[in-house]
Order: sequence, then structure tokens, then C-alpha cells
Amino acid sequence: MLNSLKGLGVTLKTMLRKPVTAQYPKEHLPVNRRYMGFPALTWDFQVQEPYCVGCMVCIRNCPTQCMTATLKDNPLHKEGKSTRRKIVDIFEVNLGRCILCEICVEVCNFDAIVMSHEHELSKYERNGNRVDLQALLEMGKQYQEDTGWEPEQAAAPKEGVQA
Amino acid sequence: MSGDLTTTRPLDTLELMINMGPQHPSTHGVFRMVVWVDGERIVNMEPYIGYLHRGSEKLSEGELYNQVITLFDRLDYVSNFNNELTFCMAIEKLMGVQVPERAQYIRVIMCELNRIASHLLFYGTFGLDVGAMTPIMYGFRDRERIQSIFEAVSGARLMHNYFRVGGLRQDVPSDFRERMERLLPQLEQGVEECDQLLSYNEVFLARTRSIGVLTKEEAIAYGASGPVLRASGVPEDVRVSEPYSVYDRFDFNVPVGKKGDCWDRYYVRVEEMRESLKIIRQVLAQLPDGPIMAAGVRRIIRPPRGEVYVRTENPRGDFGVFLVSDGTDKPYRVKIRPPSFLNLQAMQAMMRNAYVADVVVILGSVDIVLGEVDR
Amino acid sequence: MSLAATVLVPLLGLLALFTFLSAVVLSLVWIERKFLGRIQMRLGPMRVGPFGLLQPVADAVKLVTKEDVMPFGANRALFWVAPLAMFIPAFMVWVTIPFARDWVIRNLELGLFYVVAVSVLSIVGLVMAGWSSANKYAVLGALRAAAGLISYEIPVVMVALAVAMLAGSLNLVEIVERQAPIYAVVAPLGALLLLFSGLAETGRTPFDIYHAESEVAGGPYIEYSGAHWAVFYLAEYVSTFALGVLISLLFLGGWRGPWLPPVLWLLIKAYAVILVIFWMRGTFPRLRIDQLMSLGWKVLVPLSFANILIAGVQLYYRWPWWALTLMSVALIVAVSFEVYRRVVLAGGKPEVELVPARELRRKVPVREEFKTTKVSSEGQQG
Repeated sequence: MLNSLKGLGVTLKTMLRKPVTAQYPKEHLPVNRRYMGFPALTWDFQVQEPYCVGCMVCIRNCPTQCMTATLKDNPLHKEGKSTRRKIVDIFEVNLGRCILCEICVEVCNFDAIVMSHEHELSKYERNGNRVDLQALLEMGKQYQEDTGWEPEQAAAPKEGVQA
Repeated sequence: MSGDLTTTRPLDTLELMINMGPQHPSTHGVFRMVVWVDGERIVNMEPYIGYLHRGSEKLSEGELYNQVITLFDRLDYVSNFNNELTFCMAIEKLMGVQVPERAQYIRVIMCELNRIASHLLFYGTFGLDVGAMTPIMYGFRDRERIQSIFEAVSGARLMHNYFRVGGLRQDVPSDFRERMERLLPQLEQGVEECDQLLSYNEVFLARTRSIGVLTKEEAIAYGASGPVLRASGVPEDVRVSEPYSVYDRFDFNVPVGKKGDCWDRYYVRVEEMRESLKIIRQVLAQLPDGPIMAAGVRRIIRPPRGEVYVRTENPRGDFGVFLVSDGTDKPYRVKIRPPSFLNLQAMQAMMRNAYVADVVVILGSVDIVLGEVDR
Repeated sequence: MSLAATVLVPLLGLLALFTFLSAVVLSLVWIERKFLGRIQMRLGPMRVGPFGLLQPVADAVKLVTKEDVMPFGANRALFWVAPLAMFIPAFMVWVTIPFARDWVIRNLELGLFYVVAVSVLSIVGLVMAGWSSANKYAVLGALRAAAGLISYEIPVVMVALAVAMLAGSLNLVEIVERQAPIYAVVAPLGALLLLFSGLAETGRTPFDIYHAESEVAGGPYIEYSGAHWAVFYLAEYVSTFALGVLISLLFLGGWRGPWLPPVLWLLIKAYAVILVIFWMRGTFPRLRIDQLMSLGWKVLVPLSFANILIAGVQLYYRWPWWALTLMSVALIVAVSFEVYRRVVLAGGKPEVELVPARELRRKVPVREEFKTTKVSSEGQQG
């Protein structure tokens, strides 16, 4: 019977300790810096346009084919404000299909897509979590604001514009 | 039916067929057992699998190599790093890639942490199976801490997609070592608490000792591996017998059971958690600096033509990948050897003379993950 | 006037009792969830009301407003009657249980006998529920309940008998009054026996086999929903509370205690006993049906006879009360050791051998290709 008493002692000991759980909707546990939430598109604040040029490399590499995109001629490029000849026109991600694998981020040559910290996107409709370009950019801006995200590869063309 | 109550003819009795699963609270996922019982005794048991079949092997043939890694995450969804490692190692072996030291060490840390997380989950669910409701919370408390580390390192708590062919996606964050130093004592204390709460409890011993005995010969004959095989008294561990990655540089013990009953299978896992902690401490002490990605591995991987078989020690046993490449960017064939699937085959042998309540305990002690069984 | 005295007053008393018991059940649900939560390092209910105090009320409202579902093929009459058949005996027990010297609906001379006799009736409700649900799990659970509850009734009766011998009465009020040192000190063996067999009777861990959710998925309750399930729940908690009160009355001196009013003392003692029950629920796994039966018939029944025997010896030879204590403790220690020997040491000490990897590597030399981290280049051709 001694071991059972020891077990009772363990439960008594943990009872006197502080609980480890949190009151979820009231208090959110902070996510880590690298946390991979749903993908989002980043915003180039210097030119005021998305980084994404609609090259579709992420779409080809997505394991679940959860995104679609089209591109168009960039009006800002005609005005000489931007180095991007083409720019994304439609971008849609079905977040219900996304498996949060970060392959799209890895293959992107323009730092245009990031894994944001968004992860609470429940919707009432069946396809309610199909997100369009505007919403993706909003999520991206939020992420940029929260984490101070800086592009790595796209730095070079940006300087070219300023010069 | 004559209504004659004085008859000496024995009563006609029927075996009761019970359908346990796929929506039974203790079948660990969508597993179905059809059990024939005579009173509370098991007469026969038939397992039915396939409720979680997603065609992972076939799907792999249509995906790029990097995309296949995400599929491997979802095979055994409580030991994702170990699965990723196996697949990456298969391609690396085929391509002859030398993985940098630092990447190897980080891989070992992640795999061992994942082993502990997996065994903690086992501990919790096994506690539920025998009817104790506190172990699951203890297990999840510590598993949560491990997952927090996973999140910091790989960005995801469950489906990491962190290992790459030739190395890792990213290096570990700068505060990794401090966080590990904080985590390890917590884990050690947690494992100790788990052990004290359940392992030698008289009721628990009565429920698990000499239940579901799998002898050494049977375990080998059924192709069991991992803790199930070791609990039956076979000191076999792929990390020792065919060391992969850098496992031959660490000193640890292989827990081996004596009787092959449910308690041995349980306690082998508890001891394995302690050994994994030991390994992690050694890895942290030796962790070198350096690159985390092998040079010359391109984004689109095209291994040379050929076939390769790699096996590693999953938390559940000997996890193997047979990979055939035809030189393109997609695998020609991927065959997965899931340890849970083979361990499950030994269920019928363990069920001899069991009670209805034992079915649950035996199934729990085998610790299957249906994502891996059904693939 | 006489009609009012014979019908109305007891009815009002019963109504008050029912209200009181419902309140107690609500509090017990909250305490159980909170206590288990703290044991498991969780917060427990926090959302409804301060500290989740209104959670049981919310649960009750939810259960009452839920749809009552009856499975196809169920025996309609039995299915709907079963919850009542379980609840009424659980409630009837309270007729004679005193909360203080005068706080009792009917102080029966054979009170203890009545309590023991009525409480066993609730099995009928369980078996009815299990049989009428047209569900195999329910049948298994009901059979388990019938087997387990009946065999654990014997130790309860025997312990009650020993207490009656010590007190010289079956009247619960007198039993409380006559405890010189409380009987938990005089006869600890009896107290433990009553606790264990009471746990089995009320279906609490580690003896909760008849509704074990990991095996028979709720047993007799599996097909019930809504208000009928709530009645089962109520009955179960009322019996648990009855167990707590019974142990307090028989062994802990009932309402006797300094400073506080007597009712409060009884409640404190009963809640303390129930907390111990919840504590055990948070710690122990559950036994298997055959182990439950052998524990009942091979350990608890003989022990309860031995309990009567030592009580008789002590009374016959007019030994001081601590002689009984010593005998009880000796029996407890002996039986614990025997259980340890039988369960823990049966078939060798439970342990796992640790084989150092170094030794294994030496025994089975590692093949050359696995020795270093270098990767073999087989499969490169072609």
C-alpha cells in the first residue's frame, strides 16, 4: 500500500503548486518569434506596393495547392517609381487547405510571403477562410509591424529605385 | 421452449460480439477491434485498420522531395522529427551528401526531445486506459514545454517540416541553449513525478503485470520493434546496433524488460525518457558550431537513380523508408515500414486469456499511432 | 389538523431535504472539478461566475434543456423508469440520516439497518438502465454493477454490525452519542473497510468499473442524455454524499465538535471524507472486474468478519478501547503487507534491466558502414 500512498503524496504536492494552464480566450500565450501561422504577403512600405510579383513559384511548390495568383503590369513601374515590372493582381489562399509547412516562404525569391503569427481564423462558412490579396496584405502588415520584419533578398532592387 | 424448469440440459450461451471502435474512447484514434467475449473473457479479437488511410506512399510519388517531408510529418504525428529524419537520411544516403556536424547534433536533440514528448503522451494515454485521470495532465504539462521549444526552433508545435535534405531549414535560435538548460531540469522532475505517481501503484501493478505477455520468440516472429520488442527481453535498438547520424558518440542505456507484459512495455518507455534526457545533455555539451546545411544541395533535389533503405529508431520502434529514385525530382516509389503497424500484429498473441478491460490496456501498452498504421 | 401533521409536515421536510441535497450535489460537482483540476495543475472551471462557482448550475440548465434521446430498439418503459429507480433509493436513505440530534425526518430505531438495506436497491436502477438501453456496453456495465455492488454490500453490512456492537444500538443518533473516542480511532479497520466498500458501492475510482469510460464507455449510462442522465448523475452524487455522511456519523463522531454548530460539524466532516474520495479519484487507476471481485470476497469480506471478531473479543473481555485499535492496526498492517507481497512481488520484483549501449556495441560489433557519420555511396551508380 506504500506506493499508493506515495502516489497520493504526489497528487497532493502538485495540488499545492500553481496551475500551468492559462485562461485561453482571456489571456493568450505569446507565440515564439519563428511561429508559423498562416501565410501572408508582405508590403513594401517604401514603394507602397506588395513585394509579390506574382511569379507563382510558391504556387508550384505548394504541397497542397492551396493558393492561386495572377499578375499584371505594374502601373508604378511605368511611372518609374518601382523596379517591379509585374505585380500581383489576384492572390488567394485557401487557409483551410494550408498545412503551414513554410515551403512557400522558402522558395520565394522576392521575400514576398511570410508565415505570419495569425492562427485564430475560424469562420462560419465552409470556404470562409479563403483569403484574398487585400486580407493577406493586411495580415502581412500586421506581422511586419509586430516583428519588425526586414527583407533579405529584395534589398538590392529597392536601393536601385532610390538612387 | 417447454417451460420445464427442472431440465438438466446446460444453458445455451452465446458469445457476445462487441465492436470496439472506431469511435470508442480508448482506441487511440480510429482503430476498430471486433471482440468476442464470453462474460468478461476475450474469446477472439480481430483488428480492423484503414480508417485513417490517406495514401501517403502514393501521394509521395507525386510530390517534390521537399514536399514529401511534410507528408512524413503526418505519418506518426507524435514523433514528427524522427520521421523527417528517416526520409532525409534516405535521400542523403542516395545522394552521398555529408551532413554538417552541427546539423547532425541538432537533429539528435530534436529527435530525442520528440521521443520524450511521444513517451509522455504514451504515459498519459496509458494512464487513462487503466483508469487514472491525472497522468494525462502530467504528461501533457511536460509535453507542452517540449513543444514550446519545438515552436521556438522550427516554428511549429507539431508539423515541423524542419529537417532538410543535407541539413536543417534554419539554425536554432540564439537563446536555445538557455532554454534547454531551463527545460531539462523541469523534464527530469516531471518524469520523476510521473514515475512516482503511477509506476509502482498497487492497483496499476495489478492491472498491468503479467497482462498481455509477449514472449521473446513471439516478439521477434511478429516483427515487433522498439519498446515492445525491448520489453520482451531483446536488447535491440537501431541507435545502437546500426548507429545513424551521430548516435555512436553518446553513452546511454538500453532498457530491456524481463517478462514482456504491459508493465514492462510501460516502464521501458519511462526509462527511455530518462535515457533520452541523458543523451540530450551529452549532445548539448558537444554541440559544435558551423554550418547547418551541406554545400551543394540544390533547392530542387534530384537524387541519382537507385534505391535505398534506411531505418531509424522511432519512439515506437524501427521506422524504415525504402526509396526508389528514377533520377527525377519526384520519388519513384516510397515504401514506409511503420513500427506501429507491425507491433499491432502482435496484439492477437497478447490477447490470450485477457479480460475486456485488458484489451484497452494491451492496446495502450503497444502505443500505436493510427496515422502511421494506416499511412 | 391531523392531516397536516401526518402528511404535510413530512412532505415539507422531504422537499427541504431534496432542495438541500440538490444544493449539496451542485457544490460537490464544483468541488470535484476544481479539486481534480488543481491536482492536475489545471484551473478547473473558471468561466461561469466567480471561480466558476455557477458552472454546475450552467451544467444543470444545459442538461435539463437538452433533447432526451432514446435509442432505437430500447425498452421504452424501463428506459425512462431506470433513472428514477436509481435515484429514489439514493434519496430514501436520507429519511433517517440525522444532521444533528434533532435534525432528522424520522429517527428510526433500526436506522443503520434501514440505510444499509435501502442503499443497495439502487442496483436495480442500474441493471434496468443497462438492459433497456439495447446496447452491449450498457449490458456489460450493468452486469458489472450488479456483481460488484452486491458483493460489496456484505462488508458494508458487517462493518455496520461491528459499529452496532460497539455502540449497542442501531439508532444513528445513539451511535453518534455513544462514541467515547470517535470510532475511527477505536476501529480504524472498520472505517477503512466502510470507505473502500462504499467507494465500490457508489462506483468511484478505483472501483468505478461499471461506468469505466475507457472500457465500457459509460456503462449503463451510455445511451442516456439530457434530464435522465442528470438524474443518474444526481443519484450518484447523492449516494457519494450519503457515504461521506455515513462515515462521519459512524466513525468520525457525527455532529459532535467544539465551537461550531452541530450541522456544520457534520458537513465539514462529510466534505472532508468526500475530498479524500476525490483525491483518490485523482490518483488511482481502476481495478479490473475479477480483481474487484477477489478484493471484495477474499480481502474485504474476511476482514469485515475479522473486524466483528476483534470487536466482540474486546467487548467480551472488557478490554480498554485501545486494545481494539491495536488489533485493527495490526490487521491492517498484516493485510497491507500481504497485498504488497501478492501484487507487487508476484512473479519477481517489477523492474527493467538497463543494458549500457557501450556493452551492446561491444557484443555486436557495428558494421563498418555504420561506424562513422560518413554516408556510404551505394546507389550512386546509374
